[in-house]
Order: sequence, then structure tokens, then C-alpha cells
Amino acid sequence: MESVIKIEHINKEFKILKKREGLKGSIKDLFSRDYSTLKAVNDISMEIMPGEMVGYLGPNGAGKSTTIKMMTGILKPTSGKIIVNGKVPYTNRTQNAEDIGVVFGQRTQLWWALPVIESFNILKEIYRIDKKTYQDNLEYFDALIGAGELYQKTVRQMSLGQRTLCDILASFLHNPSVVFLDEPTIGLDVSMKSKIRELIRALNKEKGTTVILTTHDMGDVDALCSRIVIIDKGKMIYDNSIEKLRSFFGDYRTVKLKFNKKEEVMQTEALEKEAEDLQSFLKSQFKGAKSLSASVDDKWISVLLKEDEVHMMKVINCIQEKKKIRDMTLEEISTESVIKKIYEGDIQ
Amino acid sequence: MSETRPSFVRKYLALTKASMMESLAFRTSIFVTILGNLVYLIMIYFLWQAIYASSPTPIVNGMTFYDTMVYLVLAAAMFNFLECFIVWSLGRDFQSGQIVVSLTKPIDYQVFTFFAVLGQYIMAFLTTFLPTFIIVCLMTKGGVPLGINLIFLVISMVFSVIINFCVDFFVGVICFYTQSIWGINVMKEVVVALLSGAAIPLAFFPAVLRKIIRFLPFHAIYNTPLQILTDESLTLTNYLEMLINQVFWVVLMIGITRIFWNASKKFITVNGG
Repeated sequence: MESVIKIEHINKEFKILKKREGLKGSIKDLFSRDYSTLKAVNDISMEIMPGEMVGYLGPNGAGKSTTIKMMTGILKPTSGKIIVNGKVPYTNRTQNAEDIGVVFGQRTQLWWALPVIESFNILKEIYRIDKKTYQDNLEYFDALIGAGELYQKTVRQMSLGQRTLCDILASFLHNPSVVFLDEPTIGLDVSMKSKIRELIRALNKEKGTTVILTTHDMGDVDALCSRIVIIDKGKMIYDNSIEKLRSFFGDYRTVKLKFNKKEEVMQTEALEKEAEDLQSFLKSQFKGAKSLSASVDDKWISVLLKEDEVHMMKVINCIQEKKKIRDMTLEEISTESVIKKIYEGDIQ
Repeated sequence: MSETRPSFVRKYLALTKASMMESLAFRTSIFVTILGNLVYLIMIYFLWQAIYASSPTPIVNGMTFYDTMVYLVLAAAMFNFLECFIVWSLGRDFQSGQIVVSLTKPIDYQVFTFFAVLGQYIMAFLTTFLPTFIIVCLMTKGGVPLGINLIFLVISMVFSVIINFCVDFFVGVICFYTQSIWGINVMKEVVVALLSGAAIPLAFFPAVLRKIIRFLPFHAIYNTPLQILTDESLTLTNYLEMLINQVFWVVLMIGITRIFWNASKKFITVNGG
């Protein structure tokens, strides 16, 4: 099968003005400017197949938006090559735009002062969608999530969730082969998030649309993506299935503990002190266990350990001998903590 | 794609239609514009009355008080019709990064913005220029020549709209570099109002300044259509000369803004998003 998106060794460099300090510096800046180069994207390659749903993750400022802007043809890479639907997006921006859909979570493409249906009508003309496809899609959206009742509502009177929903629908209106969703669930409540996830999943499945999703919400990733790509500081650090990532971290266990009743009123600082003490105690007991750590997690002291370094029961026994455990829960490591560990550079 | 795919022209007309509807959604702003226009007219009436009262002759620079008033009332109406705050909306889009949304659409950005404000121009024409024009015609009882010049006026106004749009677009892009909109916009408004003949008829300018103004695009925005409308002595060749002059500015301004836009685009799209 032919890939929808093919990225080969792209780099993107930005020139950044180095501002001098103080008023004197600002005046100097008017006459001579000092630039430094920032590598926003550093040698990224990937290939995305039709119908795939890819989670594109990375901490803030990792270069996600820059990559998306290059794939949508807004920015041109400094070097390397991108092919989307057989076209080079940054040399044929308008042509490429006909076959992609984009949602930027914090911006809207809808006309603020008009009912949504008017925005859809405008998009119908802009993308030159034929009447039948347009009608079919409107009915389909209505059947899918009952969007029909929103059609006549003015955009500025909508809640953020309703607006995001309509923005996503708008990006699928012309049956694009690829849709880029840049943080679509940002700022939404739990039920709206799940509604939007359902919508994205249904559209991906039934229309076979390729979806590239960037998000900071691991709930989105768990619910939607089978493949994830992680970048940090412009470099790709992971590209594989989400299961593989989890199994890689499968040995990790989190033990959450509460010791005595006094903890209910205990200050956070005192708890942190206790966790610190516990960590140094455990480290001295189990010298080989590098991943062993203790931290405070909402009134609990949580101990993270890796099974193949040290057995969980041994750790619990050891703690029990020292202190009376009043309450305890066990957890597998979540996607969220996996990603957090990767971002923080704990694991290579 | 299928045969029933809508034509290319319709995508632009859809934008114009939408912006007309958007203008209509803000009803109050239309009334406020009309009211503000009225206050301005009262002010220039008394100002110019004083100027003429202090002059020894009733004709100053070849214009009577009556001529001047007709000219300035229509100029004010045109100013209200052409000021669609494009500099503001563009400046905001550039600074906030909202522009990336428009850039993901299969449409040229400059053309996109033009057709998106065209609806506003049309609405402003119908709500401010046309009523003022009709009132002036009725009040002066034939003081404004109505004949073949109206045809040239319409053509000339289309060119005015385009040149004015280019000036605004150009200034809007400058706002991206200056990181501020207010000061730049105020300066633009003053420069345009003065050098275009919208604030003071060009006949009142010293000869040297008038020569300089000929090399700037602004006179083609206001002075040309207003002259076509009010000057009875113009011949057919005069009309054509004036229109050709406007076409020259249309072509030049589109060229300049496109070059400036293309050079700035890569800086603008980096921000935000």
C-alpha cells in the first residue's frame, strides 16, 4: 500500500533574535542584531499509511506544531522532503489544502457571528464540494452525534465543546484523505472529551481518513491511537505501537502507601520529607535498584519500582518492618507516567 | 471529481456573501457609523464656514463654500465606506497566529482576505455612502451633476476599493513587524486622509505638494472618484485619463503588496499555533 504521508529527513531551522538586556541593549538592538539558530525539527523521518491514526506527542516546544505546519504546507523545511498524497505540500500549498483537513484546538475556522451552517456553506464553496457529498455528510454528522441541532446555532453563542465539535466536523466536510488535529480536546470537560474521541474514532473508521493527532492528554492517546510518535527537542525518540511502549514499561509497579492516621492533617512538606526519608532508606536497602523512587502523590506516598531489579513483595516487607502500613494500593504504570518518564529523560 | 463540482468563482462569492451577513449581524455598529459621520459633518461645516468667512473672496482656490461642502461631505461618506478596519483584523490575525487557519484552506490568502472584506465594503457602501449621496443630491437640488459621470464613478470606485485594500493590506503586514497596531493604523489614517484629498480638497494644497501627491497612490483612492462625481467641466478624455491613472496604481499596488507579502509570509507563519 502506498503511504499517505512520507517524511524524509526533514530539518527546520529558525533564526532567533538574541535580545540584549536593559534599555541600552534594546537601543543597541535597533542598530545591530545578533541572531542564533534554533533547530526546531532535527532529522525526522516517518511514513504514515492510509487509515492510520497516529498520536504525535512531545512536550511543549518539541517541534510538533512546526512539523504539522510543514505537512500542511504553511512552512517550508530547511532541508529534507515531505510528500502528502503524492504532492509536496509547501510548493503546492493550495492544491495540497484541497485534500487535507486541519483543526487547531485553540483557534476556530468557523465564522464567529454566523450560524454554523453558514460556515459549512462557505467551506462547501471553498473546497468546491458537490451538493450530494455535502448533503450526505451533513446527514451523516447528524446521525453520528446529533449535530443537526447545532447547525442553526451562532458560533459565538456556542460552548467551547460544541465549537470544537463543529470545527472537527468542518474539517471532515470535504472528505479529506488526511486530517490534522492539533490538541482538539484542550480545555474540554470529561464528557465532551469522550464525545469528541468517539467522533474522531467513528470518522477515522468509517471514512478511512488518516488522522494525525497531537495532544497532551494521554486519555486521547489511550482511546484513539494505536501508533505513537514522540519527539523531543526536534528529535524523534519513539515511533511504534502504544502496546509495545507499555510492555516495555510493563515491569514497573507503583505502590501507594499511607502510614499513620496523622497523615490526614499532615502538611505537604512533612509528607515530602517522609517520602524523601523513605527513598533514601529503600536505596540503602536495595543497592542495585536504580529505578526505585518514592514521591508524594495526593496524600499518598507512592513508591515506583521495577520488578526485574527488585521484587515488589520484598520492598513492601522491608517497609512494613520499619513502619506500620495503614493503607496500600498497587498500580500498573499508566501511559501518562510512561510518557512523563520519557519527557523527563529518565529512560533512553 | 464529479461534474457537479461547483465553479471556481463561487468560492470567492461565498466569502463575500458571508462577510455581508456578518456585517448585518452587527446592526448597532451600522447606526453608530452613521451617527459618527453626522457629527463629523457638522464639525467640518463650521470649520469651513469660518475659513470662508475669513477669506476676502467667496471663491477660494477655485471652489465656492458650496463646492467645498459637497466635496467634503461626499469625501467623508467615502472615507466611512472605505474604512473597514482591515489593518486591525489583519494585524490581529498575524500576531495571534490565527492566520494559519486561513493558510490551511485551498485559497490564496490575499485573494481570500479581499473577498472576505468585499462584503463589508458593499454593506458600508449601501449604508453610508449611498444614503449620504442621495441626501446631498436632494439638498443641493442638482448641485451634483448626474449623468454619464455616474458610470465612470462606479468604475472608479471599484479601483478605489482595490487600491485602498492594497494600502491597508500593506500596512497590516507592517503591523506584524512593529508588534503594534494602534499607532500604525492612526498614522495610516492621517496620511491617507490628508494626501488623498479626503480631509482637504487637493485644490487647497500648495503646488509643490500637489506634484508630490501625484506620485503617491492615495489621490487615486479619494480624489479621482470625487472629482469625477463633482467636476462638471471634465471631458470624456479626462475621464479616461483618470481611470487609466487608477489602473496604473491598481497594478502597481497589487504588485508591491504581493512582493511584500511573499517576503513576510515565512516570518509571519512561524509565530503561534
